Amino acid sequence: MKKNILIVISAAVLFSMVSCSHKKETAASLVPEDYSGWTITADNLNYPIPGHENHFRRVLINPKGQEVSVIKKEGKDYYAYPKGTIVIKEIYPTLNPKEGTKPVSLTVMIKDPENPQSRDGWIWVVKDLKKNTEKIIDYEFCYDCHTNANEPHQYGDGNPDGEFRDYLFFPYRKTASGNRQQSSDNRSY
Amino acid sequence: MKKMKPITRTVNLIIIISLVLGLGLTITYFSYNQNTELLATSQNNLHQQSDILYQSVKNAMLPGNAPVAVTLFNDIRDINPAYEIMLFRSNGVEAFSDNSTIETVNNNITNKVFDHRPASADSVMNISGNKAFNQTVAMRKTSSFQEKKEDETFFTIYKPLLNLPKCAVCHGSDHTVRGVIKISSNITPIVQRQEINTLIAGTFFIFLVLILTAFLTQFFKKKILQPVKHIGAVCTSVTGGDFNRRVEISNNDEIGVLGETVNTMVRGLYERFQLSKFVSSSTIDSLNSKKDGVKESITLFFSDIRSFTAYSEKKTPEEVVVNLNKILAFQTRIIHENGGDVDKYVGDEIVAIFSGKDKEINACRSALIIQKELNEKSTEIYDGLTVGIGINTGEVILGMIGSEERADFTVIGDHVNYASRLCDAAKPGEVIISQSVYENLDGKGIEVSKPYKIKVKGKEKFHKVYLLSPLKDGDL
Repeated sequence: MKKNILIVISAAVLFSMVSCSHKKETAASLVPEDYSGWTITADNLNYPIPGHENHFRRVLINPKGQEVSVIKKEGKDYYAYPKGTIVIKEIYPTLNPKEGTKPVSLTVMIKDPENPQSRDGWIWVVKDLKKNTEKIIDYEFCYDCHTNANEPHQYGDGNPDGEFRDYLFFPYRKTASGNRQQSSDNRSY
Repeated sequence: MKKMKPITRTVNLIIIISLVLGLGLTITYFSYNQNTELLATSQNNLHQQSDILYQSVKNAMLPGNAPVAVTLFNDIRDINPAYEIMLFRSNGVEAFSDNSTIETVNNNITNKVFDHRPASADSVMNISGNKAFNQTVAMRKTSSFQEKKEDETFFTIYKPLLNLPKCAVCHGSDHTVRGVIKISSNITPIVQRQEINTLIAGTFFIFLVLILTAFLTQFFKKKILQPVKHIGAVCTSVTGGDFNRRVEISNNDEIGVLGETVNTMVRGLYERFQLSKFVSSSTIDSLNSKKDGVKESITLFFSDIRSFTAYSEKKTPEEVVVNLNKILAFQTRIIHENGGDVDKYVGDEIVAIFSGKDKEINACRSALIIQKELNEKSTEIYDGLTVGIGINTGEVILGMIGSEERADFTVIGDHVNYASRLCDAAKPGEVIISQSVYENLDGKGIEVSKPYKIKVKGKEKFHKVYLLSPLKDGDL
């Protein structure tokens, strides 16, 4: 009897230790299953970039993100996406996938300033669609790269005015008629 | 009685276990925290250094000032020789060792061409086989580890230098990690400090456990165990019949109160012991049993001094009391020796009761011994006094008779009166027994005279009685 109790306690301790060691694996899903109806902010991203290398990419934003506010400050636009904004970048297996090919992973930005793992208001998540696992990237990798979105860069419209775009290379914009204006990629090289 | 397990051993064991666990956990907790904090401070410092280097390299590279980064690395190394700072390309080759990066950049840009630098004279380091380095490149994440080389301990950080969008203009977009910053620090003094801390904590722990164990053991021994032992010794003495020992404890605490209580108890026991000389054992048993009354078959023994009134008129009171006590004490001793219990003294009369399987033979034996002694030594010892004895067996009521202030445990009933009448009928030196007693003497070596029929006071009919034959020398 005592031996059994000891085994149970040991198993519980071991389980706790294993659970703690995988604390960055999120327990509840952060990424919505169905985002197909969301607005596309960038499509046809079929050129290599650091971080995603030779993978075709497509970017979508949820309705909450479309409530983005843009204010002028010292002559520059400052974007501020509301809490609850989710931006999903689909990562495809190759640079030129055939039609109907499904993405292999999603890299996701979620606006959640209260989250202790957030960096400048965003939490950065990678979802492996094959393994169906999600992982919060709380180190520099995603954050450092996306910091460049807030200054002139070489992707999309290149942010020539150095707007603060709240870490999105392809910000959501509305036209005067209220329709979305999709970003075009005008890379110079 | 169960085998005694000394409590001293248990108390000492509890003290030692409590101290070892309590102090051990506390000291381990603080020592561990201190050591962890010590190491963490050093590691955090190194992480900050790596962050500064990362930003410096990033900012120096952006305007194409690679030589500035090289100078920065060299300067930091000069300021703090304990640091080893290196920058490697993502293929593991030491950065700035050749012109391959310059060539790549020149190919990617159109408006500026970097000049080739002279090749490095030193041997070029390549860490492409290093596991931590490869892990850093693959995971694109900072990794750190502690390693021991000979007698020295090093803490090393590998920090990836990311190919950010603004870097990709010159370096191309086909790779994510441009290089890895390695910063390593000799933390041997900190590890040694940790070892010293652990040693001090361990020594302090042992010292405290020993000192506190000695103190607490002595405290418990002096304040609790020794007084308890002393109380136990007093109780043992009382059990052995020594009522003179007392607990001598000066403690003004629970143990002291216990000692006082034990002393009071011993005094009470002594008083009860003394009281038992004046009160029959059946009275004491009754007090203990708290029974109101029981019906039981017993043998009643009445012994009365003959012609005592006439004797007392001739003698002085002192002589009367001395000789009366002498003959009563003698009879009492014989009755007790034969298993009887003196119920009461009524003037010069003894009322005794015998219980159990051999109650009749025991009562008769007592009577015969008494008569033989008096027959032989009455004149010499008892001033010529003689007794008549009557014995009867029958069912009587035993109970506490009297009031709450004064009561006796005694026997009442017709058989009691009948025994008394037999005693009245007995002449000096005679023992008269009833038919019920006679019937239980058969074959037990007591000789009797044939039955006589007598009529006693209060009874209409004649009753069969028997006279016990006196003992001869050698009987019993």
